[in-house]
Amino acid sequence: MTTYNNSGYLNPAYHDYETLEIDRREAPAWLGVRAPQSPTAQPGGDDASGGRWQEERQGTDESIPLGFISTQPQNPPWQHNLNHTTFQIDPDAHDRSAASQISSSMSANMTLRWRGVSARRLSLFPTGDPSHLFPEDVIRNELDNEEQDLVKELIGLSTVDRIQAVRALPMSVREKKHVRSQVLAFKSSKQSQQRGCCADCSESVSWTFRRFGSGLKAAGQALELWQGTMKEISGRFGTSVLTYFVFLKWLLMFNVLSFLINFGFITVPLLVYDPSPNIPPNVSFRGLEILTGVGYFNYTVMYYGGHSNETFAGQVTYNMQLAYFLTIAIYMVLCGLALIVSMAGSFRSNYVVADPSSDSAWQLLCSWDFNMTNERAVRQRKNNLRVQLKESLSENAQRKLLTLSEELSRLCVHLASWFLSTILALGCGASVYYLCLYEAQMLAADAASWSLLEEAKTLLVPFVVSLINLCVPLFYSLFNKFDHYSSHRRQIYALVVRNVFLKMFILGVLCYYWMDVVAQNVSCWESVVGQALYRLVIVDFLFLMLGSFFGEFLSNVIGTRMLPRIGVPEFDVARNVLELIYAQTLAWIGIYFAPLLPVLQIFKLFLLFYLKKISLTHNCQPPQRTGRAAQMQTIFTALLFFPFFVGALSIVAYTSWSLTPSENCGPFRGLNNSFGAVAVWIHTLEDISGSQWVIWIYQKIIKSPIFYFIVTLIILMFIYVFWQVTLGRKELIALLRKQIVKEGKDKMFLLEKLHSLQTSHPNATNKQANQQQRIGQFSDRRSPGSQSNSSALVQALLARQQFEGDLSGGVPVPADISTSSGLIQAMLAYQRAEDLNEDLYRMPDGRLSSFAPLPPPTRPRDEDRGTAGGPGDPVHAPGALEQAMQARQRAEGADDLSSSAVMMQVIQARQQEERLQWTPGPPHNPAPSGSSALIQAMLARQQAQNEFDDGY
Amino acid sequence: MGGNTSQLSKENVSEYQELTFLTKQEILLAYKRFSELYEDRRSSLDPRTSRIPLQKMTELPELRSNPFKHRICRVFSTSEVKDGSLSFEDFLDLLSAFSDSATLEIKSHYAFCIFDDDNDGTLNRKDLEKLINHLTSESEDTKLTRNEMEQLINNILEESDIDKDGTVNLSEFQHVISRSPDFVSSFKIVL
Repeated sequence: MTTYNNSGYLNPAYHDYETLEIDRREAPAWLGVRAPQSPTAQPGGDDASGGRWQEERQGTDESIPLGFISTQPQNPPWQHNLNHTTFQIDPDAHDRSAASQISSSMSANMTLRWRGVSARRLSLFPTGDPSHLFPEDVIRNELDNEEQDLVKELIGLSTVDRIQAVRALPMSVREKKHVRSQVLAFKSSKQSQQRGCCADCSESVSWTFRRFGSGLKAAGQALELWQGTMKEISGRFGTSVLTYFVFLKWLLMFNVLSFLINFGFITVPLLVYDPSPNIPPNVSFRGLEILTGVGYFNYTVMYYGGHSNETFAGQVTYNMQLAYFLTIAIYMVLCGLALIVSMAGSFRSNYVVADPSSDSAWQLLCSWDFNMTNERAVRQRKNNLRVQLKESLSENAQRKLLTLSEELSRLCVHLASWFLSTILALGCGASVYYLCLYEAQMLAADAASWSLLEEAKTLLVPFVVSLINLCVPLFYSLFNKFDHYSSHRRQIYALVVRNVFLKMFILGVLCYYWMDVVAQNVSCWESVVGQALYRLVIVDFLFLMLGSFFGEFLSNVIGTRMLPRIGVPEFDVARNVLELIYAQTLAWIGIYFAPLLPVLQIFKLFLLFYLKKISLTHNCQPPQRTGRAAQMQTIFTALLFFPFFVGALSIVAYTSWSLTPSENCGPFRGLNNSFGAVAVWIHTLEDISGSQWVIWIYQKIIKSPIFYFIVTLIILMFIYVFWQVTLGRKELIALLRKQIVKEGKDKMFLLEKLHSLQTSHPNATNKQANQQQRIGQFSDRRSPGSQSNSSALVQALLARQQFEGDLSGGVPVPADISTSSGLIQAMLAYQRAEDLNEDLYRMPDGRLSSFAPLPPPTRPRDEDRGTAGGPGDPVHAPGALEQAMQARQRAEGADDLSSSAVMMQVIQARQQEERLQWTPGPPHNPAPSGSSALIQAMLARQQAQNEFDDGY
Repeated sequence: MGGNTSQLSKENVSEYQELTFLTKQEILLAYKRFSELYEDRRSSLDPRTSRIPLQKMTELPELRSNPFKHRICRVFSTSEVKDGSLSFEDFLDLLSAFSDSATLEIKSHYAFCIFDDDNDGTLNRKDLEKLINHLTSESEDTKLTRNEMEQLINNILEESDIDKDGTVNLSEFQHVISRSPDFVSSFKIVL
């Protein structure tokens, strides 16, 4: 019996039953789909499961009751019926539950379904290899049936869905291929029956589209920038550092898009119309322009001022004013949409569904990077993970020990550091503002007459701003050394928020200066602002380079040579990403004032990628903590959107709606505001017939506040509805969770009860085992032990047969009662077998009960149970039923026939079986009792399933 | 053996494309890498039957330092003698499950199989202990102590074992996975 020691445990059904009611389909999908324990796997390997299989095979060869069953002429129909009913019920059950699952996609359902089927199949054959219980062809039939079901379901899907569904099946390629070929064969046979030109055509069109789609995907992958580098980085530093580079690449794409739009719709038409820039003769290229952006550049298409306000009338007319306005507006809208979409998607997957408790052990284990390919990095990661796991343990223990005074002092430190950092940010903002005013006083108004020195002075403000951006975050990091938060994540958030405040203050002050001071006093003020932004972008880039040199290289040198205590620096993802965000904000603000600023940004990001990569690989070590990379990325996208993009958008919008464009230069000269370009255009449209609808849209929608009011109301309403839905879902989740816990409690209770029951009959099984060993195992010896066992089994089968007979004979017995009676009979029989064994030990001579199934062992029943329902003929169905009911009442004292009660029985039966096998028996612990119990358990299980399916 | 790429016919590639989450380039690259590893010179490479033994497979740079390399090979192997050897189709299966576009469903299913060291269909205490050891232990002295391990496993079970049966089954595991957003991005092997 050693082979069965684990079989209860190995039995998927054991782990399955608690989820019967809730998510049965999902339960133990693990098995069998893959080779290790697949029922289709061939025996005879050195692997553990193969070995087990063989042992089992041996055991079953000796098992008497089974041999007995298979020789009985009446029995085969039972087997067939048994299997038949189960697998006929399957699809219905699945369809029903599938229908109840509203939101899951088709392919997901498919996977689940397939897995559900295989799970059930396996729970039918608990030891993983059914061949000792059922003839091979029966098994093959069943497997074929399941496959047929799957194929049928696949046939019902559209081509694209089908491919997705097949892909998502957790099988090996070979099995998938088989399924697919079957589906295709069916399809083609169907098509040959009703060959329609239309169907053919649509098929080929869809095939072409699929081809085209996969071709596009492949092309996209071939174009994928920096793929090898990215792989290298993630192999050495893990996913969290990779987020920086992914973010950088993403921003680069934004800028490429922006460049293409601006260049295509603003610059190209201008250059086509007027290729030579009208540069005054006294202005020449001096070299410093590359840094300052003034002088020569001022007269090119780089800035707002270089653009014309004319309508180019060649073969086609091109309204420059309108083009300039619409291009920028459309670009901003596109950016906003892209940001919102990517933000919403990652919010859903990373925040709404995510576990609120950070740093839990599972989170750490699940986030192991399979990307890591560097041996050293893997080792380091393992060490870090160990430290983190230990910390999570100690944190759990420590959390309760924090005293009030500690709490207070911590709060004080928080307050102080927040106060300090805010003051610092405000101070920086104010100093930048006064510096700007000072610069305006210092420099002569006419930029054309500047000397080199004066030109260089313009770099003062960008220099100071970048210096602030470089140094103050370092101070903030220093604060973090004293300011301890309860979790690492909060620590990072605090740092990020402080840095965001700083950058917002600085940008806010600069924008205020440009909008309020420059716009009122300077003649061609848009170009001046554009130049200032140009300088900021350039100097910021220089400082980023310096920063990675000083920040990472120097601290690496210090860490390795001078102060090994500090250690090699880590790559600070948060700080670096914030720098990127800041740079991107500059580019967004500048899009109106200097439409070609994205070119600069593209160069900057491109160089920065390589720079950071080199700095990373030479100076840094992999991060100590596996932060939640995905969540951080969401945060960064959100930050990029909320204060920064929205800020830039509002500044551009304010500029074009409220500020007066300069009189002498730029596309909007002579208008009250830039938006006026649209009004002028609409005005010209009034003469053209057939364009009344454009005017109507402009008048009634774009210019009407009521429209925006209504849109806002609708959006608010939607938000409210979705909010409510979310709340409802949360409630539902909590309820379901409670239900699972309740089921678990039920189970524990039953297990305990069972345990106490077993301890109250001590060593019964042991004795039985001894006895069995003494007597032997073969049926022709007619030993009492094995006979009583088999008689009990016979009883069970009998009951079953009765039940089947009732059904097939058309006797109007209510289905659920009959099924439960069959079940109860099985249970009863099983219990009797146990009791019998015990009794037999007490009276070693025993009773020789008959071997034939029909004469029932009534005497044992009478004596053992005392209260049996009379020595009637057990073939008589009502009698059996009555007995069953009594037994049931006795066993449970229960009254209901609900499905949960049946489940309890199942649990008990299986548990008994397991107990039987867990008791350390001698090596020749006889197989018969085990397998009969097993069969009964399976019977019971099937009954339960049948009934369950009926119940729904 | 690099010239064997022609063996993979166009029909084969498009079939694999339909059956896995991989693109054409990825399949061809996989084939190239596979034929580089394949060294049985007596017979030419047949995608269906030729197998690379486990030892050889784990020398692949992408797998070499992976703490789960043996488990991964065993889980994806369809070998009948259960030696963990991979045929090209198994290899594609592996890459497909670890690819970017594989669904969370598939990924978590295979992750569960990989973590389930004794193939019994649930993560019991032994499996969890092995998992933690795989991910942490370097040598005997840096190992987590017995006590810590117990506590850790208790925490894990407390966290994820919803029905309190002492083990983590697949649905519980998938529940955990669905709540840890980093899983999808880290359960990835790219050639």
